[in-house]
Amino acid sequence: MTTVQRRVIQAGALSTIALACFFEVKFKTLDGRIVPQLAQEWYRVLIDLVPGSSFVLAGLVAWSRRPLNRVGLLMIGVGVGLLTRNPELQHGIGEIAYPLEVALHFISPLWAVAFLHLLLAFPAGRLVSRLDRDIVRSFYALVPLAGVLAVVIGHYPLLGAIGQPVFETKGPADYVYLACLLVGSGLVIRRWFLGGRARRRSITPLFGPMVPITIFFLLSLAYFLGARVTPIPLGGLKSILGDLATAFPLLLVALPVGVLVGLLRSELDMSSVGDLVVKLSGGLAPERLRPALAQALHDPSLEVAYWLPAQEWFADLEGRRIELPTDDSERAVSILGDASSPIAALVYDSSLVHEGQLVDAAAAAVRMALENARLQVQLRAQLEDVRESRARLVEAADSERQRVERDLHDGAQQQLVTLLLSMQMTKAEAMRHADPETAAMVEANIGALRQALDELRELGRGIHPTILTQAGLVPAIMSLAERSPIPVEVTGELGDDRFAPAIEAALYFVVSEAITNAVKHSQARRLCVSIDRRPVLAIVEVSDDGVGGAEPSLGSGLRGLTDRVAAVGGRLTVKSDHAGGTTIHAEVPCG
Amino acid sequence: MADRVLIVDDHAGFRGVARRLLQEIGHQVVGEAGTGAEALSEARRLQPDLVLLDIQLPDVDGLAVAASLSSQPRPPAVVLVSSRDATDYGPRLDRCGALGFIAKADLSVESLTALLET
Repeated sequence: MTTVQRRVIQAGALSTIALACFFEVKFKTLDGRIVPQLAQEWYRVLIDLVPGSSFVLAGLVAWSRRPLNRVGLLMIGVGVGLLTRNPELQHGIGEIAYPLEVALHFISPLWAVAFLHLLLAFPAGRLVSRLDRDIVRSFYALVPLAGVLAVVIGHYPLLGAIGQPVFETKGPADYVYLACLLVGSGLVIRRWFLGGRARRRSITPLFGPMVPITIFFLLSLAYFLGARVTPIPLGGLKSILGDLATAFPLLLVALPVGVLVGLLRSELDMSSVGDLVVKLSGGLAPERLRPALAQALHDPSLEVAYWLPAQEWFADLEGRRIELPTDDSERAVSILGDASSPIAALVYDSSLVHEGQLVDAAAAAVRMALENARLQVQLRAQLEDVRESRARLVEAADSERQRVERDLHDGAQQQLVTLLLSMQMTKAEAMRHADPETAAMVEANIGALRQALDELRELGRGIHPTILTQAGLVPAIMSLAERSPIPVEVTGELGDDRFAPAIEAALYFVVSEAITNAVKHSQARRLCVSIDRRPVLAIVEVSDDGVGGAEPSLGSGLRGLTDRVAAVGGRLTVKSDHAGGTTIHAEVPCG
Repeated sequence: MADRVLIVDDHAGFRGVARRLLQEIGHQVVGEAGTGAEALSEARRLQPDLVLLDIQLPDVDGLAVAASLSSQPRPPAVVLVSSRDATDYGPRLDRCGALGFIAKADLSVESLTALLET
């Protein structure tokens, strides 16, 4: 809007107040002098002038403070509509230009729709939901139509003055007017009760005045309907409602006052950004950043999403992906930083949209802290990537080991076994033909072949134990125990429970490596292996009574096991001192 | 003692050696199969008294084939063989309904006779 247009609207609004005041005065000639007098009782004058003027003046103030917010313009519209409802004013204008009087008859009742528009658009200044837009559009169309209908059926004037009790409706335009105000007040009260803390806080300046206004409307409606459908005499109630109706314009004044209070509160809210800066100067941990921002913006539902450039998505503090709302009338988003390289996004209740300056100020205050937090989130996400990548590598390596073991078994081992059986039959044949020399020679080769087969089988087990795939962790560990040269006691019971292959492999190799190390280095006389399953944890522990002194950082075996267990999200600890005994404990999360 | 035998193994070389061994101790080898599916259909068709069954088959697990054979109306005796040890299969060996297990490297007239006579 240009400056000239703004000036014209401001001048027009103020002129309307002046014009309304002018028509409340009558000039009489007394003793040859022209004396101004009130055209009606003083309280009637106040009722005609105060509500409309208060809307116009508060609207001008709101518009000057928030030029881009339509709340101010809507208030000016409501005020001008209320002021031009005065029949004296309309007649006076009609004497100068009759078409203008007719136009005012049709246009001035729109104050009720502008009032509804204001209620639904506050505080953002725009209608957020489609339902709100449809309601307001319908009433903008309905009120002039009802006016035309009233003229057609011969009802005139279209609407009573605002001081007239609402229950004294006289025509279709009055019903529309009543419905319009009831819908508006009902929706504001509903929104207050259903909304979150931020939304409630934002519409409280309207909610306060709207409660008594709505009660008045409901009483009027009850009387209006009761008087028409029941024969009960309501004379006393009518008198009370008449008194209330007289007070109605004063209730309306509470609305512009509420809006101005809301504006003032917004200015005060800026001081909460100062508190935020003070908190930041004391050093604010990333996890306390969101609560601090939520407190400064009075929106507990506020979320902070950090931009991860490598992944090109937003994530929470834990590095988990967050989808920003795209078309949600309840949530609004502010992106911080450049469009090409954002730092973070604030996701908050859309009722804060009108508090753009407050959001911007808070965001500017925490920009540095957000950048730090974002780097931490980025680091966490990278670590998670590394962990997942490591798990994939271990899984791929396990699959490859399984394939190599199977190839070994299906290929060389099968060939050697067949050869062994053939040689045994050859030896038997030689014995049958009384050829002990050949039989002895074949027997020697059979022995060598058996040894090769045993070594090949051990090699296969070392690469990947078949029993682990075939029967699971417990039988595989029992098998290890049976083959161990040191007595091994296995305790714990998993039954037929199976874990994910990667978990079974990790825990199996922990036990296998622990037994191998004990046999090689510990001089232990016995070993204990315990297997346990907690609700979300699989645990194995291998302890020996050997000399101790195992050092995980020195041997590549234990270090490799630590990495392997970590790759499936687990933890391996080694307790071993020179006083004797070593305990290797591994625990892995299992769903 | 059983005398009609079905040999199931995907290695033709092993099947040949096993055939000679079984014939040597007086068994009649009535058929051979290279897969689990073939084993089941040949067993239904030939009604053997004994099935010498490799555990590691290309299509299905030999232990599952053994369980399926054991549930037939006139189940044949099943002797499982593998180039791996019994310890590589754990308790599953005892649950599949087979008569017993012989590691292929230990397969001989004596081991087979001993198992069949138990």
